Amino acid sequence: MKETDIQLMFCGSAGDGTIAVGDIFKRAMAKAGYKVIAFDIYPPEIRGFGKCISRVRVTSRQAYSLKQESDVLVSLNDSYAIPHVPEVRDFGSVIYDNAPITSMAEGEHISGHLLPGQLPYGLRIREISDQTTGGSKSKNIVALGYLAGLFGIKPEPFHLIIRDKFKKKDPSIAESNLLAFDTAYTEGASTFRLDFIELGAPERQEIGSKVQMMTGNAAVVRGCLDAGLDCFFGYPITPATSIMERLATELPRRGGRLLQTEDEISAIAATIGAGYAGVRSATATSGPGLALMVEMLGLGVISEVPSVIFCSQRGGPSTGMPTKTEQSDLHLAVYGGAGDAQRIVLAPTNVEGAYRCAGKAFEMAEKYQTPVIVLLDLYLSNRYETVLLPRQNPFEGESSKHRSRVERGIPYSRFAFTEDHVSPRTIPGEEGGIHVITGLEHNEMGRPNDQSDMHNRMSEKRHKKLLAALDHPGITIHKRFGDTGSVDVGILGWGSTVGEILEAMLMAQAEGISCSVMKVVMLSPLPVEPIQHFFSDCREVLIPELNYEGQFANLVASAVSKPFTRFNRVPGVPMQVADILDQIRRLAERAKSSSAA
Amino acid sequence: MGNLRQPVYLEEKLKQVRESGRLNIRSKSLPTWCPGCGYFSIVDGVAMAINRLQISQKDVTVVSGIGCASRFPFFLETYGFHTLHGRTLPVATGIKVANDKLTVLAVGGDGDAFAIGGAHIPHAARRNVDITYLVFDNGIYGLTKGQTSPTSVLGFTTSTSPYKNQDQPLNPLLMMLSYGTSWVGQSYAGDPRHLSEMITQAMAHRGFSYLHILSPCVTFDKTSKTYTNLKAQVRWLPENHDSSDKMAAMKYAMDTDNPPIGLFYKESRPTLADNLNLVIESARGQGARASL
Ligand SMILES: Cc1ncc(C[n+]2csc(CCOP(=O)(O)OP(=O)(O)O)c2C)c(N)n1
Ligand code: SF4
Ligand SMILES: [Mg+2]
Repeated sequence: MKETDIQLMFCGSAGDGTIAVGDIFKRAMAKAGYKVIAFDIYPPEIRGFGKCISRVRVTSRQAYSLKQESDVLVSLNDSYAIPHVPEVRDFGSVIYDNAPITSMAEGEHISGHLLPGQLPYGLRIREISDQTTGGSKSKNIVALGYLAGLFGIKPEPFHLIIRDKFKKKDPSIAESNLLAFDTAYTEGASTFRLDFIELGAPERQEIGSKVQMMTGNAAVVRGCLDAGLDCFFGYPITPATSIMERLATELPRRGGRLLQTEDEISAIAATIGAGYAGVRSATATSGPGLALMVEMLGLGVISEVPSVIFCSQRGGPSTGMPTKTEQSDLHLAVYGGAGDAQRIVLAPTNVEGAYRCAGKAFEMAEKYQTPVIVLLDLYLSNRYETVLLPRQNPFEGESSKHRSRVERGIPYSRFAFTEDHVSPRTIPGEEGGIHVITGLEHNEMGRPNDQSDMHNRMSEKRHKKLLAALDHPGITIHKRFGDTGSVDVGILGWGSTVGEILEAMLMAQAEGISCSVMKVVMLSPLPVEPIQHFFSDCREVLIPELNYEGQFANLVASAVSKPFTRFNRVPGVPMQVADILDQIRRLAERAKSSSAA
Repeated sequence: MGNLRQPVYLEEKLKQVRESGRLNIRSKSLPTWCPGCGYFSIVDGVAMAINRLQISQKDVTVVSGIGCASRFPFFLETYGFHTLHGRTLPVATGIKVANDKLTVLAVGGDGDAFAIGGAHIPHAARRNVDITYLVFDNGIYGLTKGQTSPTSVLGFTTSTSPYKNQDQPLNPLLMMLSYGTSWVGQSYAGDPRHLSEMITQAMAHRGFSYLHILSPCVTFDKTSKTYTNLKAQVRWLPENHDSSDKMAAMKYAMDTDNPPIGLFYKESRPTLADNLNLVIESARGQGARASL
């Protein structure tokens, strides 16, 4: 069966319906059974006519990231689209309006900017919109219809999505837009094509799971709901806000409670309060909010109260770049706060991982009685992927078994030393389990105690109990991809960048480079042994990440003594696959010459 | 457990407490406060109130911040959470959102409440979180050994204001009234009977109740809010004060020379839990019952 792999880029202004048409396209393709990965870039301003780009990659099997080059560019606004023409591959296509409303100087029209080898497809986009809908607002739908006709994509899923999109409006609006779509579709289907863009049939769905298309933040919400989230407390901040917004609708439907607090300190404080009271609770924020939360995180650590914190990173420091992506809150997540305050930090690498990590975070928080931070970033929070969600809820319900270990009749010790360092926990309202917890160092009963022996033992307890999380069932803590055994180049990655890393690895393998990727999902505690093992298998190790200094590289450096290469970029957008590939080539070269020497 | 220091009881105190029939509400840990500190009477007052209101100890959670006042939860035999400096109210709110059946008491000092924790108070008040907030106001930072607080009087000399305090003190009662607190009262550590009566009333109130407790720090304040001075200054609120009259309550709150003690203001309105239940009902459509 022919493999499908095409990437489209819609480019225009906010007023052109650029993001909207990208959305219809990716939904229709997902509906048709293809796998999709998509990421939109908006202008930072709320209003106005800033540039919008919607990139959608359609594949037979789920792709790891977007491609560097697109196969098709659809221009809804030439002045915005012209700078992106070089991103279209050789023999790729550019679709544009060839009958603009006013006559344009030659340099203003996109057709004058195409590179040799790129194929132009001009259409009377505005005219068709005018004819079919009586206005130019449906230019985006016309472009979509043309594109679908041109590449022979079945129109039915588009019809469904367009109907759905306009279902709240007057039915005549949906009808005229469908007419616009169909008219352009016919034009597209009858256009003679020279490109090599082809779609294979979509793959059959796997049994026992359902395919859905969603963003990283939507996946977090699904994970929370499936894990039985009871209470959510939050304060709006980009790019985490949509988690709270979605939960505000969904959570009460399931009997849960959501409160918009006065600040992030309050959000985490209430999350920990609710955790103390024995329910599953969470908050979501970004770097500036996490910075406010770290004192409370320390309290969660020492008082051993479960809590879950989602942090979607953006460009920093300070207010930084609120609408740009970055991976620079890792140190804050792993180390932030006073004292030795080890906690669990998980960083999913894709949308499905965001679902898993979100749900598993609640299990872990309860089982190990600790705050669990789930680190995402703007890129992962906002990007769409088709994901296979299990039909069976994969998350364990509330772990009451940890509570039932409380022995009745003897005085209750909240912080009793045990073999696995986790103490039986009671919650307010429970008979026989009255206790006070505190941010002061304490003895087994929870009474303040600053004897050096006690502090030693309690510190050890708090650290060692987390190590079991490295074997927590049902979640990938780390995983190796690519060539097995000894390789020339190993690439170690975390978070959303792993997508680009895997794409680069596939390309390097295709060039005959022996290479392998290890992704690390649990960043605290760090799976030290598997990382050391990976190092011993690789002649050269590369660590690409979106921060200036190499924050993950710093963690790795504390765990292994071998040298490795850092690759850090802070462009505010996802890392370029080609840049990673260049690094792999360079290191492969070095591995060769050093082994020859 | 050889490490645990054996609790030592002061014979007098023990007798007194036993006689009041609320011994089991006091914890086995003897308060670590300085002898004579006003806070002792507050522990007794709360124990008495819990006893009087017939609330099961397992259903009480006492949340505090950091400070001498905030050591409070350790001295009661109830659930308790000694949290961070200034974060009493949001933690208490979280507990209450999670389980509305619990009786939640929030306690802390004047610094904990009005300096570092000041931003949380209006929100607990406007949401009408069904908790009782007891602020022990000694006009000083006791635990850190005597620095100026937001309620220190003008001209008060402390280790951080050796040339006299120049910062206008806050008026907590006026603030609480304007924030929309649904129960506002004031009492005084030198009058244990009045204190326990007021605590009982505050705890019986459904909604956010605020009790301001004037309490001397005998160690670091020898001149300002001493027992002698407070005793001479405090007045009872007039019997005919109408506790539904907010304007009148505000007028009394402004009398800082002679702080009136008693119930300033009381109103009845839906609590945060009521409102969250309404949200659940509208999310589920009419007739749906909240369950969690
Ligand atoms: C974040 C933080 N800042 C400062 C402190 C130090 N600190 C502890 S208690 C306190 C003031 C206590 O004063 P108050 O709240 O009036 O309580 P009191 O001791 O008078 O009862 C301070 C500043 C701290 N524990 N945490
Ligand atoms: S320092 Fe002051 S407030 Fe603290 S216990 Fe002693 S007397 Fe009470
Ligand atoms: Mg004080």
